[in-house]
Amino acid sequence: MNLNYNTDNNLINVLQDVSFEVDYKETISVVGESGSGKTSLIMLIGGLEKASSGKIEFKDFEISSLKEDEISEIRRKDIGIVFQSCYLIPNYTAIENVSLALEINKIKDPINKAKEILDKFGLGNRLNNLPSQLSGGEQQRVAIARSIVMKPELILADEPTGNLDSENSELISNILFDYVKEENASLIMVTHDNKLANLSKRIIKIKDGKIE
Amino acid sequence: MVKLNKNQNFSLYFKYALRDLTRSYNKILSIIITLFISLFILSSIMTIEDSLENELNENAKLLLGGDIEIDYNNREGDQTKIDKITKFATVSQMVEFSTMISTVNKKINKTSFTRVKSVDQFYPLYGNAFYEPNDALEKLNQIESSILVNENIFKNLNLKINDIVKVQDKEFKVIGIVKVLPDIGGAFVFGDFALTGKKTLDKLDLNTLGSFLNYEYKVKFNKSVNSKEGIKRVESLFKDQNRVRLRYPENSAGGIRRIVDNFSQFLSLVSISAMLIAGIGIANTLLSFINQKNSSIAVQKAIGVFSGNIKTIYYLQLAILLVLITVFSYGLSFFLIPIVDKYISDGLGLNIEASFSFLNLIIVFLVGMLVMIIFSIPTVNSIDQVKASNLFRNVFQSLQFNYSVKSVIISIVLLIILISLFAIRSSIPFYSVAYFVSFFICLLIFYYLSVTIIYLLKKYKNSKISVKIAVKNITQSKSITPITIMSLGLGMTLLLTLTFVGSNFKREISKSIPEIAPDYFFLGIQNDQREKFEKMIFNSDNKSKIEVVPMVSAGLVKINGIDPNSYIKNTNDSYWVIMNDRRISWSDEIPKDNPLTQGSWWDLSSPDKLQISLDSKVAQDFGVKIGDIFTLNIYGREIDGEVVNFRLVDYRDLSINFAMLLNPQFANKIPHEYLSTVKFNNIDKFDGINFLDEFPSVSIVKISDYLKKVTDVLNKVFIAVIIISTVTVIIGLVVISSAIIVQGKIKTFQNLVFKILGFSKKEIIYSSLIEFIITFFSIILFSTIFSIVSSKFIIENIFQLKWLFEFDIFLNVTITVGLVTMILIVFTNLKYLSPKVYPLVRNE
Repeated sequence: MNLNYNTDNNLINVLQDVSFEVDYKETISVVGESGSGKTSLIMLIGGLEKASSGKIEFKDFEISSLKEDEISEIRRKDIGIVFQSCYLIPNYTAIENVSLALEINKIKDPINKAKEILDKFGLGNRLNNLPSQLSGGEQQRVAIARSIVMKPELILADEPTGNLDSENSELISNILFDYVKEENASLIMVTHDNKLANLSKRIIKIKDGKIE
Repeated sequence: MVKLNKNQNFSLYFKYALRDLTRSYNKILSIIITLFISLFILSSIMTIEDSLENELNENAKLLLGGDIEIDYNNREGDQTKIDKITKFATVSQMVEFSTMISTVNKKINKTSFTRVKSVDQFYPLYGNAFYEPNDALEKLNQIESSILVNENIFKNLNLKINDIVKVQDKEFKVIGIVKVLPDIGGAFVFGDFALTGKKTLDKLDLNTLGSFLNYEYKVKFNKSVNSKEGIKRVESLFKDQNRVRLRYPENSAGGIRRIVDNFSQFLSLVSISAMLIAGIGIANTLLSFINQKNSSIAVQKAIGVFSGNIKTIYYLQLAILLVLITVFSYGLSFFLIPIVDKYISDGLGLNIEASFSFLNLIIVFLVGMLVMIIFSIPTVNSIDQVKASNLFRNVFQSLQFNYSVKSVIISIVLLIILISLFAIRSSIPFYSVAYFVSFFICLLIFYYLSVTIIYLLKKYKNSKISVKIAVKNITQSKSITPITIMSLGLGMTLLLTLTFVGSNFKREISKSIPEIAPDYFFLGIQNDQREKFEKMIFNSDNKSKIEVVPMVSAGLVKINGIDPNSYIKNTNDSYWVIMNDRRISWSDEIPKDNPLTQGSWWDLSSPDKLQISLDSKVAQDFGVKIGDIFTLNIYGREIDGEVVNFRLVDYRDLSINFAMLLNPQFANKIPHEYLSTVKFNNIDKFDGINFLDEFPSVSIVKISDYLKKVTDVLNKVFIAVIIISTVTVIIGLVVISSAIIVQGKIKTFQNLVFKILGFSKKEIIYSSLIEFIITFFSIILFSTIFSIVSSKFIIENIFQLKWLFEFDIFLNVTITVGLVTMILIVFTNLKYLSPKVYPLVRNE
């Protein structure tokens, strides 16, 4: 697939002829310099951007040909996204941020299920705290809980430990890799952290929009 | 692909809407305030109108004084027919007339022009009259030559119970005070009034013209007679009687109904203006609210919530807000009723009670909903601009109003529904539609004014840094200039227009008209009294100007052989000409202030033919042409006359003016009396008491007394109107302050940069003042032009009075609003003047 932008009569090739497959249970780290196209890659996979050409297939769907609402429907259930900045909804408590993902999927007893996962992540005593009352590591754990509470088959993570200290980074990476193992999911993770990247089964290196 | 059922999800979205609203309501406080003020005003107007309508409808028989009224005008009723009615109903005879009441044996005797109601023992057939003492009405028909006067006469003539007053040349004992009469539908609403017994009437020397005598018979059907059946029986008795008018309960208090309708139409339009101005603020605040939620919306999109569902959540928040505010404002409007009741019972003698109307509640909600949707569509649609991919870049672009073809069409359709809703409910739909059209034209002009100012200022170069900053603030892409100019401009236009209308009206009534108007009207001067009358006036003041004209009462019963009541509606401006008998006169020459507009003056070769000169406005309103035939009923005889010319009649000077004049060669043969106006050189030289001793049957109307009463009523109306129109300015100010608050973050950043660059607070405040002066003076300039044009049109075309630009009033209003706006802007900006560097550097 390819991704190009037109700016002031200049064509910028963000991604060129990028092609790879991801198996179930596979963990992939995408590494590369800033501006190489790593984030754009996972944006395309998550259906948050449209490829200029080429195809992205996820399970039986061809994401690149679906409408926005149809992609949203897939994201709801099967794709979890973790951002570098946690992006919790500021006026929702920890438990409300997590239960949001369950409620829009009409999952029964969302509050207890959200509580369960937050307990598992060591946040049992922070359930009713607003994001502003949580530390950076706690916020990221809530964000990951929200991303995986629907047990998605694919996790897209963009620098999930980028804003964290080493202790919290380890905690977060353990959560992500344990989840992949337990739920037979796949993980595509953009990272600058070599230590974290080395935990993945495969590393894809991108330079100037191309896979090296 | 499995789609979630939208209906099943409603409760979920509702839950989220409620949660967002309860946690973020402080961020949309200006929406809540402006929406509440405008809905409260609308609710109040509707509740008051509804309560008044209910009072008028429920008490229609009471206000009419019977199940049906038979009006014989200035003739006594046909006793044979009345006797026939008494077989199935109770008939109460009533005679109303105007006369003078004067005190006797006081140090300084006073007089009062009074409408007297002579009643029999059956009065009132419906409802209760309240007197002091309680048995006063019973005594009225027992004690000969007794009279009850209203509180105003009692106070003004300095009377005591059992005092003697003179009515014409007869003496009467004041046996009590009338507090409230149930049948206030007629002329008794505003003027002074008194009650006498039926026997008393015979003692007085009443003449049919000058006393404006009116014989009425109120009918109350026996219990065994069904109302409809009774009315049919009465109608059948009078079917061929052109001169007898039947009045029904639904026609009672027509004057009050018209006042209520017109006043509430006007106030409703003011309230919808307030609401539309509030709409501008709603759009702006909501956009800022959604902008603040930019990342939350992106997160929702990232985890798979549809854009449409997010919009639903925001619309639901607005709907919840609207329901709560509607119920609260409608409920609160009920608390106004006791205050209005006090005001109305003093003025009109009506007592109103708050009554719940589900329809009104729905209408208030509907109006609020339409305004809210119209203004929130482009704002909520901006949610489509939020991209979940922004979360990866941590860059959020400010959202802009999102106009799609579909949303523009929906907005226009909703706007048409809103205008129709007001137009259909108003008594004169054309005025409502015209008002809306003017409103939107003003809105557009103010918008383009802001665009022009921004364009011109972008080209303007000035080296002074404060001016540069001010110009930059006005011209920057997210400046509040358009919102300030539109919201304050519309409010100022409305306030200035109503102030100009009110002040011109008051000036004309209290100053200009008395200067040119006569001091007194003298009614009912008989043929043999005319010489003596003129002599007496000259003896009191030999420099007085007297005008004496003949007068006769006539009814216009047919126009070209057709009853005009069958095709001319009571909403017609000139309906008064056919409503009752009119006083008409005749003249040899064309009256000085009544120039001919069409046709020629009398044809002297046809002295035996009745010729009519008609007011050109009446001719236009009735569609009458030269050569048309009017059938006049004069003393029961129908006479055909040809309309030979039209005159431009100017009623403003309160001199003698008639809608119809007759050719004197013909009219002199008709039995008549005289009407006179007198303008004294020195009004103090005229002694009314002395005059009434000589002319007991002549009635005197002192113009200044009536103008004072009118001015008093106008003052109250003026205050109410100004208070309500000030609300539009207040809403405009709330919109501006919310716009400044919305700008807060930008302002803080900007002021921080200024701080780092070494600007003083003084310089920043100075630049704010320059910004205010540029914006406010542009608003004032255009608001003044609009208000001059509209108030001039209203005063000159609708009220037909002289319009003057009153600079002092203009200055008072603009300086007051200007100061309040400036204080508000400075006060709102104050917290952004000293930004703390640390949180900004930390990007908090």
